[in-house]
Amino acid sequence: MNTDRRRINAPSGGTTPPIFARTVKVPGYLESLRPSRTRGPNELRKIFLQTGIIPSASGSAYLEVPLPRTSNSSSLIPPRSSLKITCSIQGPKPLPRSAPFSPSLLLTTAVKFAPFASRNRRGYIRDSIERDLGVHLETALRGVLIGERWPKSGVEVIVTVVEGDEDGWWGDSTPGIGGGITGSGMGAGWGLLNILAGCITVSSAAIADAGIDCVDLVSGGVAAIVRNPDTKKKEGEKGDFVRMLDPCPAEHQDIVAACVVGYLAGRDEVTEIWLKGNVGAIPDELIDGATQAAVGSLSVLKEVVMEAVEAKFQGQVIQEKEGLKRKHPQQDAEMVG
Amino acid sequence: MATQPQPVPALSFPRPIFAALSPHPFLAAHLASDKAIRANGRKPQEFRTPGINTGSLTHCNGSAVVRLGNTAVVCGIRAEILRAEDIANPIVTGVRREDEDGEEDDREEIEGLRLLVPNIELATGSAPSHLPGSPPSTTAQTLVTRIRSLLISAHLLRADDLRITYAPPVPEDLDTPDVEQEEEIKGYWVLYIDTMFLSLDGAAFDAAWCALLAALRDTLIPHAYYDSDLETILCSDDPSQARKLKLRGLPVPSTFAVFESTEGDKEGDSEREKAWVLSDPDAFEEGVCKETVTVVVDGSGGTKGQSEENVRKIEKSGGGVIGRENMKGLIKRGVERWGVWERVLNDK
Repeated sequence: MNTDRRRINAPSGGTTPPIFARTVKVPGYLESLRPSRTRGPNELRKIFLQTGIIPSASGSAYLEVPLPRTSNSSSLIPPRSSLKITCSIQGPKPLPRSAPFSPSLLLTTAVKFAPFASRNRRGYIRDSIERDLGVHLETALRGVLIGERWPKSGVEVIVTVVEGDEDGWWGDSTPGIGGGITGSGMGAGWGLLNILAGCITVSSAAIADAGIDCVDLVSGGVAAIVRNPDTKKKEGEKGDFVRMLDPCPAEHQDIVAACVVGYLAGRDEVTEIWLKGNVGAIPDELIDGATQAAVGSLSVLKEVVMEAVEAKFQGQVIQEKEGLKRKHPQQDAEMVG
Repeated sequence: MATQPQPVPALSFPRPIFAALSPHPFLAAHLASDKAIRANGRKPQEFRTPGINTGSLTHCNGSAVVRLGNTAVVCGIRAEILRAEDIANPIVTGVRREDEDGEEDDREEIEGLRLLVPNIELATGSAPSHLPGSPPSTTAQTLVTRIRSLLISAHLLRADDLRITYAPPVPEDLDTPDVEQEEEIKGYWVLYIDTMFLSLDGAAFDAAWCALLAALRDTLIPHAYYDSDLETILCSDDPSQARKLKLRGLPVPSTFAVFESTEGDKEGDSEREKAWVLSDPDAFEEGVCKETVTVVVDGSGGTKGQSEENVRKIEKSGGGVIGRENMKGLIKRGVERWGVWERVLNDK
């Protein structure tokens, strides 16, 4: 990793993220930082979505799930992460001459995390997690595009995760402190499901912004089955499980299973399912929950796409430069000679 | 653009198509018209209004989003600890060298230990020419090298802010009362400065540098100390103990592009060369201009009350239009631009 000669590298000795004294020395302090869910089990987080943020791309969108406003002025450690994703669509454009004939639109997806996307700094070179997310995103979008209308062309969906959900509460992964609690969350990749759901929704908005024909707007949603923390203490018993829509993994210590879907609400079709964990014999409830969450984000998506379309056409009429994409008034220029 | 009525109606195109087909005459026609306005509606000397938003990233010590027209950049700064044991070739060991002004000469320390790690990512779909999946393009590599060299040559950061020192307790040994308590360096803060372009529309260097500057001004470094019991460096998560970086000056770059057009004179052989110096070029203008100049000006020097402008860096490439006289004008424009940035950076 340190031999990337095209970038500026860190000191060769390596660096470590800071360790905060109070989490190590004061017993119980770490636990007091643990965030908890304040929403109801079926309540979704608020989404901010905007299209047309990158004028040079044919379509683009930005999605944010902001942090709840908390007055955490007592600590520098952020309790949880927000979700910030941008998506840019390049194309459809003709395939290079060397490419073999393709009767329909070739879809390429790329998901990349920013180095500051997570609590531990990430590298610049795409890793397996990012490739995996890219493949899942491609599956979710492939069935939505009407590819036959663009023979011999390709489109690139480029998603940048500026900030992503975590796999669990960070304190659970810190070894040897806080009484040695180990959450089941870490390493299981629960946060990836939220990120994928965000990627699906934001790409869908960007595709609509690019004006690529789709069968419907696809949207992503996540649901999880969580062990109820109040009954967790009794060992041996199964404990009762609760289904949570749109879980924030940092808020749940014990996620048993989770599922993300890419859902076409208008046709009641699912283009992508990614289910993790031990769900038991019947995953229906979980998948239902995920589709409910997807319907929730669809309502935002629809509104934003409608607004963008209205703004676009108004801009054409008024011929002002307030429409970001159309800087130039629509008057013809004459080419002389 | 036709300024006088043509006898024969020529081919008529919508503007975007004209711009795409023949970009050079397109811009020349704009600038040569009576109003002398660029294709993007700005005057040749007009910069774009910057916008800054800081502190929006959760996992960073400091962050900023800078918008410059259609260029949008996000910069996040993350501080990690480099322990003294991990330094292969220590440069200074506890000794502080100061010159006459009481200012430390710490350039070697910062550069030699690589305490600043700036990187820039363009391949985020920010522009059609920068697509992901390939190693950083030459443009990206050049850009980050320019940023890094300015960061070091402008002497912006103090090594003092980045040192983590430890003063061992004085042994209560009466035999050695004269031994001065000496601080030793236990580690350094390393600043990872990651800049991502969300959208690229010209003047990449200006936007990236100002995002970096705004993020550095926003950065909070936690209070770090050496814990002799655990034999490691610990930090305090109390925000009131954390401190801001004390930056030296406020260098601000302004980029100019020179647009040349040759018009064949109707009377005969003499070709008229006309050139315009465009402030803060966008991507379209950068595509048709060969000569670019970047002037880095710092107006924060001098004593209180009267500001003193210093030129920190001049970069010029391509073409030969800008001479000594023109350069003076550009520096003046750069100084004006510095005032704009300074106001925006201080307002947040």
